[in-house]
Amino acid sequence: MIMISIPLSMRVVFSIPTYILIAIVMAIPFWILFNVFDQLIFFEPIWIFYLSEDAITGFILTTIISILMGMLVSMNIYVIRHSSKLKISRASLFSGSSLSIISGVCSSCSSVGFLLISTFGTAGIIASNLLTIYQIPLRIVSLAILIFALYYIHKRIVQSCVIDTIQPRSIIITETLPRELRDTDLSMHIMFP
Amino acid sequence: MSGVRKMKVNPLSVIAIMTVFGFGTLLYSQGVLSLDHRVAVMAQIDSTESESPFSLSNLIEQGSPYLGNPSAPITIIDFSDFQCHLCARYVKNTEPLINETYIQTGQVALVFKHLPNRGFDSMGAHLAAQCTDEQGKFWQFHKLLYENQQGIDSGWVNEDNLKKFASQIPGLDIERFNSCFDTQKYKEFVDRDVKLANSQGFFDTPNFIIVNSIDGSDPQIIRGAQPFPAFQSVIEQKLQR
Repeated sequence: MIMISIPLSMRVVFSIPTYILIAIVMAIPFWILFNVFDQLIFFEPIWIFYLSEDAITGFILTTIISILMGMLVSMNIYVIRHSSKLKISRASLFSGSSLSIISGVCSSCSSVGFLLISTFGTAGIIASNLLTIYQIPLRIVSLAILIFALYYIHKRIVQSCVIDTIQPRSIIITETLPRELRDTDLSMHIMFP
Repeated sequence: MSGVRKMKVNPLSVIAIMTVFGFGTLLYSQGVLSLDHRVAVMAQIDSTESESPFSLSNLIEQGSPYLGNPSAPITIIDFSDFQCHLCARYVKNTEPLINETYIQTGQVALVFKHLPNRGFDSMGAHLAAQCTDEQGKFWQFHKLLYENQQGIDSGWVNEDNLKKFASQIPGLDIERFNSCFDTQKYKEFVDRDVKLANSQGFFDTPNFIIVNSIDGSDPQIIRGAQPFPAFQSVIEQKLQR
Protein backbone atom coordinates (compact mmCIF):
# COMPACT_ATOMS: atom_id res chain seq x y z
CA MET A 1 0.00 0.00 0.00
CA ILE A 2 1.31 3.41 -0.89
CA MET A 3 0.41 6.36 1.33
CA ILE A 4 1.20 9.85 0.23
CA SER A 5 1.06 12.60 2.80
CA ILE A 6 -1.36 15.45 2.02
CA PRO A 7 1.11 18.31 2.56
CA LEU A 8 2.92 17.36 -0.63
CA SER A 9 0.17 18.67 -2.87
CA MET A 10 -0.15 21.77 -0.75
CA ARG A 11 3.58 22.30 -0.91
CA VAL A 12 3.39 22.05 -4.65
CA VAL A 13 0.53 24.54 -4.96
CA PHE A 14 1.30 26.92 -2.13
CA SER A 15 4.98 27.19 -2.92
CA ILE A 16 3.73 29.73 -5.46
CA PRO A 17 2.64 32.97 -3.71
CA THR A 18 -0.10 33.59 -6.29
CA TYR A 19 -1.98 30.52 -5.06
CA ILE A 20 -1.67 31.61 -1.43
CA LEU A 21 -3.13 34.94 -2.47
CA ILE A 22 -5.95 33.23 -4.37
CA ALA A 23 -6.73 31.08 -1.32
CA ILE A 24 -6.86 34.15 0.94
CA VAL A 25 -8.91 36.15 -1.56
CA MET A 26 -11.41 33.29 -1.82
CA ALA A 27 -11.53 32.44 1.89
CA ILE A 28 -12.21 35.98 3.13
CA PRO A 29 -15.45 36.57 1.17
CA PHE A 30 -16.75 33.14 2.19
CA TRP A 31 -15.88 33.89 5.82
CA ILE A 32 -17.63 37.26 5.64
CA LEU A 33 -20.63 35.72 3.86
CA PHE A 34 -21.11 32.96 6.42
CA ASN A 35 -20.71 35.33 9.36
CA VAL A 36 -23.13 37.86 7.93
CA PHE A 37 -25.76 35.16 7.56
CA ASP A 38 -25.02 33.90 11.05
CA GLN A 39 -25.53 37.49 12.24
CA LEU A 40 -22.04 37.83 13.64
CA ILE A 41 -20.96 40.62 11.32
CA PHE A 42 -23.08 43.71 10.71
CA PHE A 43 -22.51 46.65 8.39
CA GLU A 44 -25.44 48.80 9.44
CA PRO A 45 -25.82 51.04 11.42
CA ILE A 46 -22.18 50.43 12.39
CA TRP A 47 -19.57 47.92 11.29
CA ILE A 48 -19.32 45.40 14.06
CA PHE A 49 -18.24 41.82 14.69
CA TYR A 50 -20.03 40.14 17.56
CA LEU A 51 -19.54 36.56 18.68
CA SER A 52 -22.17 35.48 21.17
CA GLU A 53 -21.79 32.30 23.21
CA ASP A 54 -24.46 30.40 21.30
CA ALA A 55 -22.68 31.02 18.02
CA ILE A 56 -19.17 29.79 18.89
CA THR A 57 -19.52 26.26 17.45
CA GLY A 58 -21.00 27.52 14.20
CA PHE A 59 -18.33 30.20 13.95
CA ILE A 60 -15.47 27.70 14.36
CA LEU A 61 -17.00 25.44 11.71
CA THR A 62 -17.58 28.22 9.18
CA THR A 63 -14.07 29.58 9.74
CA ILE A 64 -12.56 26.15 8.98
CA ILE A 65 -14.91 25.74 6.00
CA SER A 66 -13.91 29.16 4.62
CA ILE A 67 -10.20 28.36 4.90
CA LEU A 68 -10.65 24.97 3.24
CA MET A 69 -12.83 26.51 0.51
CA GLY A 70 -10.07 29.04 -0.22
CA MET A 71 -7.46 26.29 -0.37
CA LEU A 72 -9.65 24.12 -2.54
CA VAL A 73 -10.44 26.86 -5.03
CA SER A 74 -6.77 27.73 -5.22
CA MET A 75 -5.77 24.09 -5.77
CA ASN A 76 -8.52 23.76 -8.39
CA ILE A 77 -7.13 26.74 -10.25
CA TYR A 78 -3.68 25.17 -10.10
CA VAL A 79 -5.05 21.94 -11.53
CA ILE A 80 -6.96 23.73 -14.29
CA ARG A 81 -3.93 25.77 -15.28
CA HIS A 82 -1.78 22.68 -15.38
CA SER A 83 -4.45 20.30 -16.63
CA SER A 84 -2.77 19.66 -19.97
CA LYS A 85 0.52 18.81 -18.30
CA LEU A 86 -1.08 16.92 -15.46
CA LYS A 87 -3.02 14.77 -17.90
CA ILE A 88 -6.16 14.96 -15.85
CA SER A 89 -9.34 13.66 -17.33
CA ARG A 90 -12.34 15.91 -17.59
CA ALA A 91 -14.36 13.60 -15.37
CA SER A 92 -11.94 13.60 -12.48
CA LEU A 93 -11.41 17.36 -12.58
CA PHE A 94 -15.14 17.90 -12.57
CA SER A 95 -15.52 15.57 -9.58
CA GLY A 96 -13.01 17.54 -7.51
CA SER A 97 -14.59 20.86 -8.37
CA SER A 98 -18.14 19.69 -7.99
CA LEU A 99 -17.34 18.38 -4.54
CA SER A 100 -16.16 21.82 -3.53
CA ILE A 101 -19.33 23.31 -4.98
CA ILE A 102 -21.54 20.81 -3.16
CA SER A 103 -19.79 21.48 0.13
CA GLY A 104 -20.06 25.21 -0.45
CA VAL A 105 -23.76 24.97 -1.18
CA CYS A 106 -24.19 22.64 1.78
CA SER A 107 -22.56 25.02 4.21
CA SER A 108 -24.24 28.02 2.59
CA CYS A 109 -27.71 26.57 2.74
CA SER A 110 -27.30 25.93 6.44
CA SER A 111 -27.18 29.66 6.96
CA VAL A 112 -28.34 31.29 3.73
CA GLY A 113 -31.00 28.85 2.64
CA PHE A 114 -33.61 29.61 5.19
CA LEU A 115 -33.60 33.27 4.19
CA LEU A 116 -34.28 32.34 0.60
CA ILE A 117 -37.00 29.81 1.17
CA SER A 118 -38.71 31.38 4.12
CA THR A 119 -40.90 33.26 1.68
CA PHE A 120 -42.32 30.10 0.09
CA GLY A 121 -45.19 29.37 2.42
CA THR A 122 -45.66 26.03 4.18
CA ALA A 123 -42.86 24.26 2.32
CA GLY A 124 -40.65 27.20 3.16
CA ILE A 125 -41.48 26.94 6.85
CA ILE A 126 -40.65 23.21 6.95
CA ALA A 127 -37.43 23.65 4.99
CA SER A 128 -36.49 26.69 7.03
CA ASN A 129 -37.01 24.74 10.26
CA LEU A 130 -34.93 21.82 9.05
CA LEU A 131 -32.10 24.07 7.95
CA THR A 132 -32.13 25.95 11.24
CA ILE A 133 -32.32 22.83 13.41
CA TYR A 134 -29.69 20.91 11.44
CA GLN A 135 -27.38 23.85 10.81
CA ILE A 136 -24.42 22.37 12.71
CA PRO A 137 -24.77 18.82 11.28
CA LEU A 138 -25.03 20.31 7.78
CA ARG A 139 -21.82 22.20 8.34
CA ILE A 140 -20.10 19.09 9.59
CA VAL A 141 -21.25 17.29 6.44
CA SER A 142 -19.94 20.11 4.27
CA LEU A 143 -16.65 19.99 6.16
CA ALA A 144 -16.39 16.27 5.48
CA ILE A 145 -17.14 16.83 1.78
CA LEU A 146 -14.49 19.56 1.66
CA ILE A 147 -11.90 17.31 3.25
CA PHE A 148 -12.77 14.61 0.73
CA ALA A 149 -12.56 17.15 -2.10
CA LEU A 150 -9.15 18.26 -0.83
CA TYR A 151 -7.99 14.67 -0.75
CA TYR A 152 -9.32 14.23 -4.28
CA ILE A 153 -7.57 17.29 -5.67
CA HIS A 154 -4.44 16.28 -3.78
CA LYS A 155 -4.50 12.94 -5.55
CA ARG A 156 -4.83 14.68 -8.92
CA ILE A 157 -1.83 16.85 -8.21
CA VAL A 158 0.50 14.20 -6.85
CA GLN A 159 -0.37 11.81 -9.65
CA SER A 160 2.03 13.88 -11.66
CA CYS A 161 4.72 11.99 -9.75
CA VAL A 162 4.86 8.70 -11.60
CA ILE A 163 6.11 5.82 -9.55
CA ASP A 164 8.15 3.30 -11.37
CA THR A 165 6.61 -0.03 -10.50
CA ILE A 166 9.62 -2.05 -11.65
CA GLN A 167 11.97 -0.10 -9.44
CA PRO A 168 9.66 1.01 -6.62
CA ARG A 169 12.11 3.38 -5.02
CA SER A 170 12.69 5.46 -8.10
CA ILE A 171 10.40 8.35 -8.70
CA ILE A 172 10.03 10.18 -11.95
CA ILE A 173 8.95 13.76 -11.48
CA THR A 174 7.15 15.35 -14.37
CA GLU A 175 7.68 18.88 -15.58
CA THR A 176 4.52 20.07 -13.89
CA LEU A 177 6.10 20.39 -10.48
CA PRO A 178 7.79 23.71 -9.76
CA ARG A 179 11.51 23.61 -10.48
CA GLU A 180 12.47 23.97 -6.79
CA LEU A 181 10.38 20.95 -5.85
CA ARG A 182 11.83 18.72 -8.54
CA ASP A 183 15.02 18.57 -6.50
CA THR A 184 13.13 17.79 -3.27
CA ASP A 185 13.53 14.38 -1.76
CA LEU A 186 9.96 13.18 -2.28
CA SER A 187 10.66 9.92 -0.50
CA MET A 188 10.15 11.99 2.65
CA HIS A 189 6.52 12.27 1.64
CA ILE A 190 5.98 8.88 0.11
CA MET A 191 5.89 5.78 2.25
CA PHE A 192 6.21 2.36 0.74
CA PRO A 193 4.88 -0.74 2.49
CA MET B 1 -4.66 8.73 -24.09
CA SER B 2 -8.29 8.56 -25.07
CA GLY B 3 -9.52 9.54 -21.58
CA VAL B 4 -7.55 12.80 -21.61
CA ARG B 5 -9.68 15.72 -22.70
CA LYS B 6 -9.41 19.42 -22.33
CA MET B 7 -11.93 21.01 -19.98
CA LYS B 8 -14.76 22.71 -21.78
CA VAL B 9 -16.78 23.79 -18.77
CA ASN B 10 -14.74 25.75 -16.30
CA PRO B 11 -15.87 24.64 -12.82
CA LEU B 12 -14.54 27.90 -11.43
CA SER B 13 -17.30 29.70 -13.23
CA VAL B 14 -19.75 27.66 -11.15
CA ILE B 15 -17.90 28.68 -7.98
CA ALA B 16 -17.95 32.28 -9.19
CA ILE B 17 -21.69 32.08 -9.84
CA MET B 18 -22.18 30.60 -6.39
CA THR B 19 -20.17 33.43 -4.83
CA VAL B 20 -22.07 36.09 -6.77
CA PHE B 21 -25.35 34.41 -5.82
CA GLY B 22 -24.27 34.34 -2.18
CA PHE B 23 -23.31 37.99 -2.17
CA GLY B 24 -26.50 38.91 -3.97
CA THR B 25 -28.43 37.19 -1.24
CA LEU B 26 -26.24 38.89 1.33
CA LEU B 27 -26.95 42.32 -0.10
CA TYR B 28 -30.65 41.52 -0.32
CA SER B 29 -30.77 40.33 3.27
CA GLN B 30 -28.93 43.43 4.38
CA GLY B 31 -31.52 45.54 2.64
CA VAL B 32 -29.06 47.06 0.17
CA LEU B 33 -30.99 45.73 -2.82
CA SER B 34 -34.39 46.17 -1.24
CA LEU B 35 -34.52 49.82 -0.41
CA ASP B 36 -38.25 49.72 -1.03
CA HIS B 37 -38.91 48.85 2.60
CA ARG B 38 -37.26 52.05 3.73
CA VAL B 39 -39.24 53.96 1.14
CA ALA B 40 -42.36 52.22 2.45
CA VAL B 41 -41.57 53.31 6.01
CA MET B 42 -40.92 56.87 4.95
CA ALA B 43 -43.97 57.01 2.69
CA GLN B 44 -46.25 55.68 5.36
CA ILE B 45 -44.93 58.14 7.89
CA ASP B 46 -45.00 61.09 5.50
CA SER B 47 -48.53 60.36 4.33
CA THR B 48 -49.97 60.21 7.83
CA GLU B 49 -47.88 62.80 9.58
CA SER B 50 -50.36 63.32 12.38
CA GLU B 51 -51.31 59.65 12.86
CA SER B 52 -48.13 57.71 12.32
CA PRO B 53 -48.48 54.00 13.08
CA PHE B 54 -45.18 54.26 14.89
CA SER B 55 -45.90 57.07 17.32
CA LEU B 56 -45.67 55.68 20.84
CA SER B 57 -49.15 56.91 21.78
CA ASN B 58 -50.61 55.14 18.77
CA LEU B 59 -48.76 51.91 19.52
CA ILE B 60 -49.95 51.93 23.11
CA GLU B 61 -53.50 52.76 22.03
CA GLN B 62 -53.50 49.84 19.60
CA GLY B 63 -52.67 47.52 22.49
CA SER B 64 -49.09 46.65 21.65
CA PRO B 65 -47.11 45.50 24.70
CA TYR B 66 -44.61 48.16 25.75
CA LEU B 67 -41.92 48.60 28.36
CA GLY B 68 -40.72 51.86 29.88
CA ASN B 69 -41.77 55.45 30.14
CA PRO B 70 -44.80 56.29 27.92
CA SER B 71 -43.35 59.75 27.45
CA ALA B 72 -39.85 58.56 26.52
CA PRO B 73 -38.50 60.56 23.56
CA ILE B 74 -37.40 57.48 21.62
CA THR B 75 -39.19 54.22 20.85
CA ILE B 76 -37.73 50.91 19.77
CA ILE B 77 -40.26 48.74 17.93
CA ASP B 78 -39.21 45.10 18.09
CA PHE B 79 -40.58 42.65 15.50
CA SER B 80 -39.80 39.18 16.85
CA ASP B 81 -40.85 35.56 16.95
CA PHE B 82 -40.79 33.46 20.13
CA GLN B 83 -39.36 30.47 18.26
CA CYS B 84 -36.56 32.41 16.60
CA HIS B 85 -33.15 31.62 18.10
CA LEU B 86 -31.67 34.92 16.94
CA CYS B 87 -34.45 36.75 18.79
CA ALA B 88 -33.48 34.78 21.89
CA ARG B 89 -29.87 35.88 21.34
CA TYR B 90 -31.05 39.50 21.26
CA VAL B 91 -33.23 39.05 24.36
CA LYS B 92 -30.42 37.41 26.33
CA ASN B 93 -27.51 39.63 25.29
CA THR B 94 -28.70 42.99 24.02
CA GLU B 95 -32.07 43.76 25.55
CA PRO B 96 -30.86 43.76 29.19
CA LEU B 97 -28.25 46.40 28.29
CA ILE B 98 -30.81 48.55 26.46
CA ASN B 99 -33.14 48.16 29.43
CA GLU B 100 -30.52 49.12 31.98
CA THR B 101 -29.05 52.02 29.98
CA TYR B 102 -32.04 53.61 28.29
CA ILE B 103 -35.37 52.12 29.38
CA GLN B 104 -34.84 52.33 33.13
CA THR B 105 -33.61 55.92 32.71
CA GLY B 106 -36.79 56.88 30.86
CA GLN B 107 -35.08 57.76 27.59
CA VAL B 108 -36.42 54.89 25.52
CA ALA B 109 -39.63 52.87 25.38
CA LEU B 110 -39.67 49.36 23.94
CA VAL B 111 -42.71 48.16 21.99
CA PHE B 112 -43.20 44.54 20.95
CA LYS B 113 -44.74 43.64 17.61
CA HIS B 114 -45.67 40.05 16.80
CA LEU B 115 -44.03 38.46 13.78
CA PRO B 116 -44.64 34.70 14.02
CA ASN B 117 -42.83 33.22 11.03
CA ARG B 118 -40.60 30.45 12.35
CA GLY B 119 -42.87 27.46 12.55
CA PHE B 120 -46.41 26.27 12.98
CA ASP B 121 -46.39 26.68 16.77
CA SER B 122 -45.28 30.31 16.65
CA MET B 123 -48.75 31.74 16.15
CA GLY B 124 -50.01 30.02 19.31
CA ALA B 125 -47.12 31.43 21.32
CA HIS B 126 -47.90 34.94 20.12
CA LEU B 127 -51.63 34.59 20.80
CA ALA B 128 -50.82 33.42 24.32
CA ALA B 129 -48.38 36.26 24.84
CA GLN B 130 -50.96 38.84 23.81
CA CYS B 131 -53.43 37.22 26.21
CA THR B 132 -50.95 37.73 29.06
CA ASP B 133 -50.63 41.38 28.06
CA GLU B 134 -54.35 41.74 28.78
CA GLN B 135 -53.42 41.14 32.42
CA GLY B 136 -50.23 43.20 32.34
CA LYS B 137 -47.98 40.12 32.39
CA PHE B 138 -46.61 40.20 28.86
CA TRP B 139 -42.95 40.84 29.73
CA GLN B 140 -42.86 38.05 32.33
CA PHE B 141 -44.30 35.65 29.74
CA HIS B 142 -41.91 37.00 27.09
CA LYS B 143 -38.94 36.36 29.38
CA LEU B 144 -40.21 32.90 30.33
CA LEU B 145 -40.58 31.82 26.70
CA TYR B 146 -37.17 33.02 25.58
CA GLU B 147 -35.49 31.47 28.63
CA ASN B 148 -37.10 28.12 27.82
CA GLN B 149 -36.78 28.26 24.05
CA GLN B 150 -36.17 24.94 22.32
CA GLY B 151 -36.12 23.65 18.75
CA ILE B 152 -38.61 25.08 16.28
CA ASP B 153 -41.91 23.16 16.39
CA SER B 154 -40.45 20.63 18.83
CA GLY B 155 -43.61 20.99 20.87
CA TRP B 156 -42.18 23.31 23.50
CA VAL B 157 -44.84 25.94 22.66
CA ASN B 158 -47.75 23.63 21.93
CA GLU B 159 -51.08 24.46 23.56
CA ASP B 160 -50.44 22.47 26.72
CA ASN B 161 -46.99 23.88 27.30
CA LEU B 162 -48.16 27.44 26.68
CA LYS B 163 -50.78 26.98 29.38
CA LYS B 164 -48.13 25.52 31.68
CA PHE B 165 -45.88 28.53 31.06
CA ALA B 166 -48.78 30.86 31.78
CA SER B 167 -49.55 29.05 35.04
CA GLN B 168 -45.98 29.78 36.20
CA ILE B 169 -46.57 33.53 36.11
CA PRO B 170 -47.47 34.83 39.58
CA GLY B 171 -50.72 36.76 39.70
CA LEU B 172 -52.00 35.68 36.29
CA ASP B 173 -55.68 34.74 36.23
CA ILE B 174 -55.30 31.40 34.47
CA GLU B 175 -59.01 30.95 33.72
CA ARG B 176 -59.16 34.30 32.02
CA PHE B 177 -55.97 33.46 30.15
CA ASN B 178 -57.30 30.07 29.00
CA SER B 179 -60.52 31.61 27.79
CA CYS B 180 -58.62 34.26 25.85
CA PHE B 181 -56.19 31.74 24.40
CA ASP B 182 -58.76 29.07 23.49
CA THR B 183 -60.97 31.55 21.62
CA GLN B 184 -57.97 32.99 19.76
CA LYS B 185 -59.08 36.41 20.85
CA TYR B 186 -56.04 38.20 19.47
CA LYS B 187 -55.72 36.38 16.15
CA GLU B 188 -56.68 39.48 14.16
CA PHE B 189 -54.41 41.62 16.31
CA VAL B 190 -51.39 39.37 15.62
CA ASP B 191 -52.31 39.18 11.92
CA ARG B 192 -52.33 42.98 11.79
CA ASP B 193 -48.84 43.05 13.31
CA VAL B 194 -47.63 40.56 10.71
CA LYS B 195 -49.17 42.66 7.95
CA LEU B 196 -47.50 45.78 9.32
CA ALA B 197 -44.16 43.99 9.52
CA ASN B 198 -44.47 42.71 5.96
CA SER B 199 -45.42 46.18 4.73
CA GLN B 200 -42.10 47.39 6.12
CA GLY B 201 -40.20 44.63 4.31
CA PHE B 202 -39.71 42.50 7.42
CA PHE B 203 -40.11 38.82 6.65
CA ASP B 204 -37.48 37.44 8.97
CA THR B 205 -36.80 38.11 12.62
CA PRO B 206 -35.69 39.98 14.62
CA ASN B 207 -36.03 43.44 13.10
CA PHE B 208 -36.26 46.79 14.79
CA ILE B 209 -37.40 50.30 13.96
CA ILE B 210 -36.19 53.11 16.18
CA VAL B 211 -38.35 56.22 15.94
CA ASN B 212 -39.03 59.49 17.67
CA SER B 213 -41.86 58.65 20.06
CA ILE B 214 -44.01 61.73 19.53
CA ASP B 215 -44.73 61.33 15.84
CA GLY B 216 -42.94 58.13 14.85
CA SER B 217 -40.65 60.16 12.63
CA ASP B 218 -37.01 59.60 11.64
CA PRO B 219 -37.23 55.80 11.50
CA GLN B 220 -33.93 53.95 11.71
CA ILE B 221 -33.99 50.27 10.89
CA ILE B 222 -31.82 47.73 12.67
CA ARG B 223 -31.87 44.32 11.01
CA GLY B 224 -31.00 41.24 12.99
CA ALA B 225 -29.90 40.40 16.50
CA GLN B 226 -27.32 43.15 16.66
CA PRO B 227 -25.23 43.83 19.75
CA PHE B 228 -25.78 46.75 22.12
CA PRO B 229 -23.30 49.18 20.45
CA ALA B 230 -25.40 49.13 17.26
CA PHE B 231 -28.51 50.23 19.17
CA GLN B 232 -26.46 52.65 21.25
CA SER B 233 -25.12 54.43 18.15
CA VAL B 234 -28.63 55.02 16.78
CA ILE B 235 -30.14 56.02 20.14
CA GLU B 236 -27.28 58.40 20.99
CA GLN B 237 -27.57 60.05 17.59
CA LYS B 238 -31.28 60.58 18.13
CA LEU B 239 -30.82 61.88 21.66
CA GLN B 240 -28.30 64.44 20.45
CA ARG B 241 -30.64 65.84 17.78
